[in-house]
Amino acid sequence: MRRRPGIGGLQTAAAARDQYRLLGENVAKLRTDLMKEQLATFRSQLEEFARKHKNDIRKNPSFRSQFHEMCAKVGVDPLASNKGFWAELLGIGDFYYELGVQIVEICLATRPLNGGLIDLQELCKLLRQKRKHDREAVSEDDCLRAISKLKTLGSGFEVISAGKKKLVRSVPTELNKDHNEILELAQAQGYVTVDEVERRLSWTHGRAIDALDTLLEEGLAMIDDGHRDGNRRYWFPCVSSISSFGV
Amino acid sequence: MSNFFSKAEVTSSGRPVFLRNEVECHLLSGVDLEPEDHHHFSPLKSGIFILTTHRLLWLPSSSATTPTSASAIPLAAISHIFSSQKSLKSVFHSPRIRFQVLVSPDGRVFDPGSGSGSGFSSGSGSRSVVVTAVVRGKGDCDGFLVKFWDSWRTRAWESNETSGSGSGTGLASGSGAGTGTGGGLYSADGSVRMVGVAGILRKEQEMWESTDKSLQDAFQDLNALMSKAQEMVKLAEKMRQKLLSGTGSQTSGTNDEDMGSKEEIQDWLLSVGIISPVTKESAGALYHQQLSRQLADFVTTPLERAGGMINLIDAYCLFNRARGTELISPDDMLQACSLWEKFDVPVMLRKFDSGVMVIQNKSHSDEEVFARIKSLVTKPEALRNGISPTDAAMTLGIAPAMAKEHLLTAESKGLLCRDISPDGFRFYINLFPEIDPCNIYFVKDYGICSTWIKAVSTSG
Repeated sequence: MRRRPGIGGLQTAAAARDQYRLLGENVAKLRTDLMKEQLATFRSQLEEFARKHKNDIRKNPSFRSQFHEMCAKVGVDPLASNKGFWAELLGIGDFYYELGVQIVEICLATRPLNGGLIDLQELCKLLRQKRKHDREAVSEDDCLRAISKLKTLGSGFEVISAGKKKLVRSVPTELNKDHNEILELAQAQGYVTVDEVERRLSWTHGRAIDALDTLLEEGLAMIDDGHRDGNRRYWFPCVSSISSFGV
Repeated sequence: MSNFFSKAEVTSSGRPVFLRNEVECHLLSGVDLEPEDHHHFSPLKSGIFILTTHRLLWLPSSSATTPTSASAIPLAAISHIFSSQKSLKSVFHSPRIRFQVLVSPDGRVFDPGSGSGSGFSSGSGSRSVVVTAVVRGKGDCDGFLVKFWDSWRTRAWESNETSGSGSGTGLASGSGAGTGTGGGLYSADGSVRMVGVAGILRKEQEMWESTDKSLQDAFQDLNALMSKAQEMVKLAEKMRQKLLSGTGSQTSGTNDEDMGSKEEIQDWLLSVGIISPVTKESAGALYHQQLSRQLADFVTTPLERAGGMINLIDAYCLFNRARGTELISPDDMLQACSLWEKFDVPVMLRKFDSGVMVIQNKSHSDEEVFARIKSLVTKPEALRNGISPTDAAMTLGIAPAMAKEHLLTAESKGLLCRDISPDGFRFYINLFPEIDPCNIYFVKDYGICSTWIKAVSTSG
């Protein structure tokens, strides 16, 4: 189109733009239709898969975790929404959301005892007790996935590693590296003393006291002054091997 | 002679030792094994005849006079099983089971495990002997025959190598346990019970095998599905780009149409499993819109009970519990709550600095809460000891976690001062604004400072 000066030129340019826009919309519409088609094919393929393997996903935890890994690689989130194909056809949505709700309940119930930090294995054990009547086995991997979904709701649900153990945090307490190290140290006997902390981690007195006091404030540690040698012991219910809180 | 048959190993309590993957199928008691012609072996009298998936075993019963050891015929060596002949004679005789066994040149039963020859096709120079098992005891001979056919046809000994070692060892221990309990249940006419345990074991083995196979299938299908899903993701990304970029360039006239398709696109993205952000213009997937309204209705009751503010995660649990089935995901919840600001609902989502998210009534105002806190904290006891989150919670009628958030917010507004001790957090009224930096010791007659001094000095 020749560019013409003046009003005529402007009108032509406007007409050209309109035409291009219409064309673009058509192209977009085509793509929309194409996408609809693709989606329908995908959905039917997923239905086929579900028909054959829905049971495997429900019954077999290792298959489940493999499934999740592959989804993550591809970039889809099968637990993103209850309305998605995955949840609808494979039925794993309900499983994980229910698990999430149960985890929240357990964390809430044990919070007075451990201050909002619970050992992952302890949590799994309590979960299994709670779910005795359900025939589906719950693996640690399932718990981790459910918790990672809960993270989006705020309130500090998170899994942290302290030494060999994994701890599930359910309060928005900020735990820095110092706290982590103390928790690691506490795993041996369930408690630490200030001397031990200073000696084993080579910290100054002030640093040790500061970290221990923060943990105390948050309710994660408990003081025991009754020992013979008069040393104050800081007990950590979350990492100690005292189990059966009787939830 | 006695070395016609293969030797079968027996445990100290007289139970046979099974091979790997071998499962017992049937048992008959009081069985004589007779050859067609007597020069192959002398008849074995009155023993226990056991059919397994791999062999036929004959165990001497404890009452046998001639001490003979346990014998075994591998099912692989059996070339033919005769069907039971129903004749007039057979009505009067004890039931008989006849089968043909291949014999290797040295006069022994052909044993495929001994490596004495390659394939045992009938023309390879080996002879066959017909063996008759006369069932003199009580026992289900027909049932035995049926199982005999089944086991022989299944050829379980050939599939030994192909079955997975995992299921194999699992089953070996299973059958080991089976023989253990079988030994305990063993009695002269314990054949029925034996079948029960063996039957269960057989079922387990079949289940394991089928699970194994179906898992292999499952993984293959999973791979195929994932490659398709990858295509979908790429397509979805393109659509999402269009969604995000298409907001500014359209004129307002075509906006409605675009809104419609944008919603559709959001729905599709959701179905595939991609969470798309709620943009300012778009209203998110239709599903989330509906959910958002539903949630707003639902949450009014708990909000009232909780004093106007409820933790998002508590609301999530309550909502899912109420739903029962078709639970929503945490992402669904978040999306639904984020949509509230577009609709005219009396609730809103609020995020605190600590990361805690709460749902609160729009009518709830911070000032009102601060006023209540202030009145609480200027009471004489509070002036002396401060208030803890639990005190505030009780007075304000809200959860302790929420109360702590309020106190922290009030502190950041300059209303309160914190006091941290091993007892935890306590909050006091903030006196500093009243103190004139130039004249620190001057206490105004009015104002909180003087009240505080009075309160503190009257304590013991």
